[in-house]
Amino acid sequence: MTTLTTRQPPVARPGKRLRASALLERPNFAVYGILIAFILGSAFPFYWSFLVASYDANVFTGDVPLIPGGNFLTNASRVLDAIPFWKALGNSVIVSGTVTLSVVLLSSLAGFAFAKLRFRGSKGLMLFVVATLAVPTQLGVVPLFMAMAEFGWSGTLGAVIAPNLVTAFGVFWMRQYIVDAVPDELIEAARMDGCSMLRTFWHVCLPAVRPAAAMLGVFTFMQSWNDFLWPLIVLNPEDPTIQVALEKLQSGYYVDYSLVLAGTTMATVPVLLVFIVLGRQIVAGIMQGAVKG
Amino acid sequence: MTADLTEVPSGRGVEPRPPVLREPPNGHPKLPWRDRLTRLDVKYTPYAFIAPFFILFALIGLFPLLYTAYVSLFDWELGADEHPFIGLENYATLLADDQFWNAMFNTISIFVLSSVPQMIIAVLLAALLNTALRARTAWRMGVLLPYVASLVALAIIFSNLFGKQYGLINTFLNSVGLSPVDWQGNWFASHVAIATMVNWRWTGYNALIVLAAMQAIPREVHEAALVDGAGAVRRFVSITLPLLRPTIIFVVITSTIGGLQIFTEPKLFDPAGGSGGGFSNQYQTVVLYLYQSGFQDFNLGYASAMAWILFLVVLVIAAGNFFLTRRIASTGENE
Amino acid sequence: MPYRSNRWVMALACTAALAATAACGSSDAGTTADGKVELTVATFNEFGYEDLLKEYEASHPNIKVTHRKTGKSDDHHQNMFTKIGAGSGLSDIEAVEEGWLAQVMAKSNQFNDLTKIGPADVKPDRWLKWKSDSATTKDGALIGYGTDIGPLAMCYNKDLFAAAGLPTEPEAVKAIFATWDSYFAAGDQFKAKTGDKAWFDSAAQVFNAMVNQNKVGYYDVDDKLVVDSNPDIKADWDKVTAAVAKGQSAKLVAFGNEWNTGFKTSAFATKTCPSWMLGVVEKQAGPENSGKWAVTDAFPEGGGNWGGSFLTVPKQSKHPKEAAELAAWLTAPEQQIKAFTSKGTFPSQVEALTAPALLEQTSAYFGGAKVGALFAEQAKKVPAAQHKGPASGQIQDKVFNSALQAVEQGTSVDDAWKQAVEGSQKAAK
Repeated sequence: MTTLTTRQPPVARPGKRLRASALLERPNFAVYGILIAFILGSAFPFYWSFLVASYDANVFTGDVPLIPGGNFLTNASRVLDAIPFWKALGNSVIVSGTVTLSVVLLSSLAGFAFAKLRFRGSKGLMLFVVATLAVPTQLGVVPLFMAMAEFGWSGTLGAVIAPNLVTAFGVFWMRQYIVDAVPDELIEAARMDGCSMLRTFWHVCLPAVRPAAAMLGVFTFMQSWNDFLWPLIVLNPEDPTIQVALEKLQSGYYVDYSLVLAGTTMATVPVLLVFIVLGRQIVAGIMQGAVKG
Repeated sequence: MTADLTEVPSGRGVEPRPPVLREPPNGHPKLPWRDRLTRLDVKYTPYAFIAPFFILFALIGLFPLLYTAYVSLFDWELGADEHPFIGLENYATLLADDQFWNAMFNTISIFVLSSVPQMIIAVLLAALLNTALRARTAWRMGVLLPYVASLVALAIIFSNLFGKQYGLINTFLNSVGLSPVDWQGNWFASHVAIATMVNWRWTGYNALIVLAAMQAIPREVHEAALVDGAGAVRRFVSITLPLLRPTIIFVVITSTIGGLQIFTEPKLFDPAGGSGGGFSNQYQTVVLYLYQSGFQDFNLGYASAMAWILFLVVLVIAAGNFFLTRRIASTGENE
Repeated sequence: MPYRSNRWVMALACTAALAATAACGSSDAGTTADGKVELTVATFNEFGYEDLLKEYEASHPNIKVTHRKTGKSDDHHQNMFTKIGAGSGLSDIEAVEEGWLAQVMAKSNQFNDLTKIGPADVKPDRWLKWKSDSATTKDGALIGYGTDIGPLAMCYNKDLFAAAGLPTEPEAVKAIFATWDSYFAAGDQFKAKTGDKAWFDSAAQVFNAMVNQNKVGYYDVDDKLVVDSNPDIKADWDKVTAAVAKGQSAKLVAFGNEWNTGFKTSAFATKTCPSWMLGVVEKQAGPENSGKWAVTDAFPEGGGNWGGSFLTVPKQSKHPKEAAELAAWLTAPEQQIKAFTSKGTFPSQVEALTAPALLEQTSAYFGGAKVGALFAEQAKKVPAAQHKGPASGQIQDKVFNSALQAVEQGTSVDDAWKQAVEGSQKAAK
């Protein structure tokens, strides 16, 4: 690698930087074609949900017309009447936002330590973290509820937030990413300059791992946003998260899908916003890499 | 990584600090306080960094694990007054339980059918997304959409696709003169259908993880290869892939763990939304069986034993995949 | 419990969580700040209690009621059993659906005996006898006050009946629905005329109704599993599987997506119809099939019940007396009629069955039939409550329904029977 990199690049004269994208392949029509097919497949359920939500209760879910009907706003206002939508949305934003911040920060911190710092027991602890992922979590609701009842937390948002403040998945992910994405030399240089470990983490590591952190943020946010069973069990139904509130739309021996899917569609909007905000961070990561060089 | 890749950057990154004062404070001539501080910093900071994670994890995450381990040693009926201790009997019963082995077989079959194509497509998709696309954010977030799709919608859409009598796929097969497939009843067909759902939901997710790692590959590596005249495919195979190794290992291990704990998709595939996994358990997975034992038969002890046996199986398979991946993605150098 | 001693753990956890968000609340003791007794009522689906609970609060100023409503029955019951397992967190009143009742009865020690703590004037004979009997343990403890019921009648598709040359008027079809033999015989006649249409939606739907009419079901009165020794079960099994072999079943899994489509496409001619099923038929068959479906006050071998719920008071409740009083009030005839008027839950109290609001109810979708009076009549035909064992619910819903589905999908009848017997033994273990 040394031999490769010491050569003088003729394209970029020293001192002048390439635009990051200039290095990437120019996509041709085939690439766009494949990606469009992927996106269509991925987005279909959303469009379909919107379609069903735009008709009245009599629309037959097996045979929805492909053009939206005019009933979406009616269904949306029915949703607002039926469940405490805004309150639930607010609760979900608090829960998912807190959980995401905590997971991203604590995972980066621990991931950095595991990837770049030497300490006794590092390997064993890392293996332990990964191993805990392998235990199925479905049975956890019983002991978790006992714990929350003991703490006196059941019924509070804290009971939904607390069990999700850290994830082994996050630590594993950040560790794997940091191993290669943050060069050792960069850390050493910072240390030589007299940076404390914390400053090194903050000023060297964090900027370099922004894409991975943003990705972890997206995953964590969505996971937390879609969580259903645990909030159902531990929260008071009058003060629910959005998924628990939406479930109430399915009461009755038959389900009014235009109502249910209107609620579902409305509840997806905040997630898409998070997508856009954090998605930019992921893209920004490339530029970061270019500057870092 | 070589030293010339890592010269201290200008601008962002490490901030320049004022020169360190070497004048010892009063009465402490031996070691400057700063050096001692630095020593302490080096020695204990790593623990401080991992402490928040482990403390929170010990408080909240560990208790459920220990609890299931404990309960698995008892004849623990949910809500019963007494829970007799039976030692390893749950484990012994489980290992002799045909339904468990059937569930294990289904789990591994669905896992193989889903994970292999998923990995390959995810890496290729990441490579496509790593090109100079217009509106990059939109494309990237687009492939993640399945991950947020509502399960209510998915249940209906997939049963409209794979329905035996009125499903779209069978209607199509009929119209081109092929015989329809019994997606529910035939064990292999049901595994294929469930694997399709899994792949649909998780390929984009894995692609994004791989993509994030691709972006971390230093620009100069690509630059140099470009200068050397390496083509796109060659650069992908001999530069990108090897440098992705830690991430590929991550993806392989997490999807092995996730794949063997598969639960949501086969539950959605049941026409009535139950956790039975088909009328002859033809697509009942281990976690579905575990859920059924715990929350329908209320046999929490048995379900807990199942959780721990599955844990062992997952560990073995994940470790196997780890060594396999390391070998395949290795370029001869050690991590 | 291992975690109980670790108070410091709690303090630490609180600190940690405080840093992140909410404060550490202390759990309530069941009373509000101004000294009112606070009662929580957990229901699912639609019980029609929204206005009733407000009414109760108005007439009982010392009581504050919180309604914990879940949408789906499965979610509600999983939540409830989790909290039974955890030993805390249950509401003062927990609704239990008929299908889960056997499991609740098996844990009757977790629930209060309402004959002891309930108001003295509330006697089991307020309810239809079979309804209160089914919530009474062997020792005579009443675990739940009955709310609604689902008396069975028969729904049928008039167009399909006409196409097969069968009578179509509700009075005229009663002979077809006199016994199971006449029912399956008419099915043969129907198949011979129509070919690709089916006689009923799913074998399991018919089989469940048949088994529940028997004196003895999957368990005998001593809670002994009798699946393979009870001749009635095998006889029912043989009749249903024979009908399946002759193509009478549409082979649709109840409440699945294809089943819904089956209503739309008129895939089958008859449907076992509890009162609440009328709404399902109307919704699934849709407006374009309005007037095609009819309902008659006949059911093979008399009658039966499918569905309906009970209100229980768990021992976890801190105010069992007040809770039982509220539950008794909610299930009193006047309130049952109000709930019926608002959400259509069919009343289970003898007195409520004669209320004009009930008897005058008609259904435009079912050709203007007087469905209120019709189902009130069917409710009286329900046979005496059959003894249910701890795993009756799973044996019906999981084991036998799966085995019958297997028969419908081509498994041999003998293999499926073996699957059913072994499955039952496993579930009952």
